[in-house]
Amino acid sequence: MTAVAAIPHAAHVRAGPGTDSLRVALVGNPNAGKSTLFNALTGMRQRVANFPGVTVEHAEGSYARDSAWITVLDLPGTYSLAAQSPDEAVALDVLLGRARGVPAPDVIVVVVDAVNLERNLFFATQILELGRPTVIALNRMDRMVAEGTRIDVPELIHELRTVVIPVSATRGEGIERLRHAISCAPSLPPAPARIGLGDEMDVERRYAWIADVVERCVVRRTRSARTTSDRVDAVLLHRVWGPLIFLGILLLAFQAMFSAARPLADGIESLVAVAGALVTRVLPAGDLRSLLVDGVLAGVGSVLVFLPQIAILFLLIGLLEDSGYMARAAFAVDRYVRPLGLQGRSFVPLVSGYACAVPGIMATRTIQQREERLATIMVVPLMSCSARLPVYALLIAAFVPAVRVAGVVSLQSLTMLGMYLLGTVAALGMAAIFRRTLLRSDTRALIMELPRYSLPSPRVLLASVWQRVRIFLRRAGTVIFAISVLLWALARYPQPSTPTPPTPEAQLGASALGRIGHAIEPAVRPLGYDWKIGVSMIASFAAREVFVSTMGTIYSASAEEGGPALAQRLRGERDSRGRAVYTPLVAIGLMVFYVFALMCTSTIAITIRETGGGWRGLGWAALQFGYMLALAYGGALLVYRGGLALGLGGGG
Amino acid sequence: MRLPPFLKRLFGRTPRPAAGPSPCDSCPLAACAAGSRATVLCIVCPAHDAHRLRTLGLFEGVTVGVVDTRSGLVLDVRGSRLALGAAIAAGITVQPLRA
Repeated sequence: MTAVAAIPHAAHVRAGPGTDSLRVALVGNPNAGKSTLFNALTGMRQRVANFPGVTVEHAEGSYARDSAWITVLDLPGTYSLAAQSPDEAVALDVLLGRARGVPAPDVIVVVVDAVNLERNLFFATQILELGRPTVIALNRMDRMVAEGTRIDVPELIHELRTVVIPVSATRGEGIERLRHAISCAPSLPPAPARIGLGDEMDVERRYAWIADVVERCVVRRTRSARTTSDRVDAVLLHRVWGPLIFLGILLLAFQAMFSAARPLADGIESLVAVAGALVTRVLPAGDLRSLLVDGVLAGVGSVLVFLPQIAILFLLIGLLEDSGYMARAAFAVDRYVRPLGLQGRSFVPLVSGYACAVPGIMATRTIQQREERLATIMVVPLMSCSARLPVYALLIAAFVPAVRVAGVVSLQSLTMLGMYLLGTVAALGMAAIFRRTLLRSDTRALIMELPRYSLPSPRVLLASVWQRVRIFLRRAGTVIFAISVLLWALARYPQPSTPTPPTPEAQLGASALGRIGHAIEPAVRPLGYDWKIGVSMIASFAAREVFVSTMGTIYSASAEEGGPALAQRLRGERDSRGRAVYTPLVAIGLMVFYVFALMCTSTIAITIRETGGGWRGLGWAALQFGYMLALAYGGALLVYRGGLALGLGGGG
Repeated sequence: MRLPPFLKRLFGRTPRPAAGPSPCDSCPLAACAAGSRATVLCIVCPAHDAHRLRTLGLFEGVTVGVVDTRSGLVLDVRGSRLALGAAIAAGITVQPLRA
């Protein structure tokens, strides 16, 4: 391999200091600190991308050095070259240049956790035997020093016959030396295969060799059997307290989402209002002003309000994941989900589903067994994702009184938690049904590493939250913007041909949107909904949060300009006989509908992809969409009719 | 108070062996007390699980520490913490080491 081996890959070239470019792949065991190192190397210059051909989301970043752009790929964590899960398979395909459309990386950086040297070197030595330019980043050196353990790096270099750079990704130490080593790596002569263990399956000989190397290179002051992590685990892995603590953490998280996000959301709401007032002042009354105020600002603005809550949700999930707690939660619940035909490992994708079903479904790649993985994919979208949050938040803010239960927890957050629990219970129940019918197989035993607890790096957390916020903003700027404008047009035209200017209510009734709404009213009538809700539901089949923006558009079209906020308008809405349209019962039924219904084109797309693509994937996706819609309609019907039968239907 | 069987299964305590490593030559890993160390003698489980365990550094002849036995098992394998479900733990036979 020569100094600059790669022809710049068209998709990755940026205008930069020079024309040279180098592709670097970061590999290593799960929990070796890869993502933190990736962040330290590339800073904020990164994005979530897809490999062409192989469909896997990966982080890709770059930095400039001398006259070259260095592109860094963050590949999924891998324990060995004999891939066992779909996730590992993708990482290896890319690494070995087997992935279609992805050139093999010029330099491989193996991230090795110094604290866990033996196990990490197992994979590292396998990579070294590929004979490619390789740099070993010996991560978490700061922790080793703190524990009084010393690693003889020159000796390690001598044994492994490759460049070993001690780094501390969280503190940013050794990063510059690592960058230098990466740039030099392609021009170094390939290391002679010293280890010569040949057969990659010869696990025992390899571990024996490594134990020997570690013996010589590592000077341990003490080998305390019980670490701080173990002491924390003594509490968190308790068979009763463990799951209870987990529930408590979730409850706290939802409370935080409501209370911490409120001031920020209020700020955005008033900004939108100010913008609306400004446009109203500057522009003359007419179609353009109406488009901007009632269409764009009302539609996009009503979704933007939920940005703080979504950012906090992703922050909390990231915190659980990066601190090492998520693995414990998976282990603690393993015995409880096993009777359902799932294993603890399925639990991480399900919890990720609270943030968004798309990364949740992608996280199922760590599940090795096909039937278990498919069952998990099928139920992940039942976990209430951040896109449902705006719908819940709107309806709860409007119809659930802000009183406190037992003086501590507000009834509103309890209702919110209830919706999340409903989705979770439904997901577990449906998984049990799938595992007993279509996707029957033995449940695999749990084998899982519990990483050490660590303080998550704020940089990594913020980078991932920023990624997700950007995706949400892009959706608000594209899909939701387009639907808002379309809905505005449908709600405004055709205008009724009356000599006097029509009332907003009459105009909406005569518009195309009004007609569509009236046409589908019979389908939603049994659930207690009027045509306006029906229209919002139809519109939100593309993306759930569109429900809120549609309501925003519809109700701003039917109200005088500068009216009260959406939640208040909903409370004040009356039908032709003067009764409240939105009783708490209708609101709860509507929320239940949104708990169950799969209304998200991205999720459908990812399900098709992850269940095998083509007609097969389409079949699974159709099944998923169908059963969830049936659950949604049935659930909402049950709540409304059941509530009426119990005499709960009184206007609220 | 008598618990119904399913609750007992979920919340009941697993019977623990008497404190301290037992003097026997071999016993199931699941029977070892937390805090003890043992050498793996034999692993009986499906091939794919065995392969995964080997990759993670757990195979015949390796000495492991038992960290937690309350639900499933947490082992100290080469300094890393490995969580095993009860089914796997039952298939591993070890020779306990005296402390």
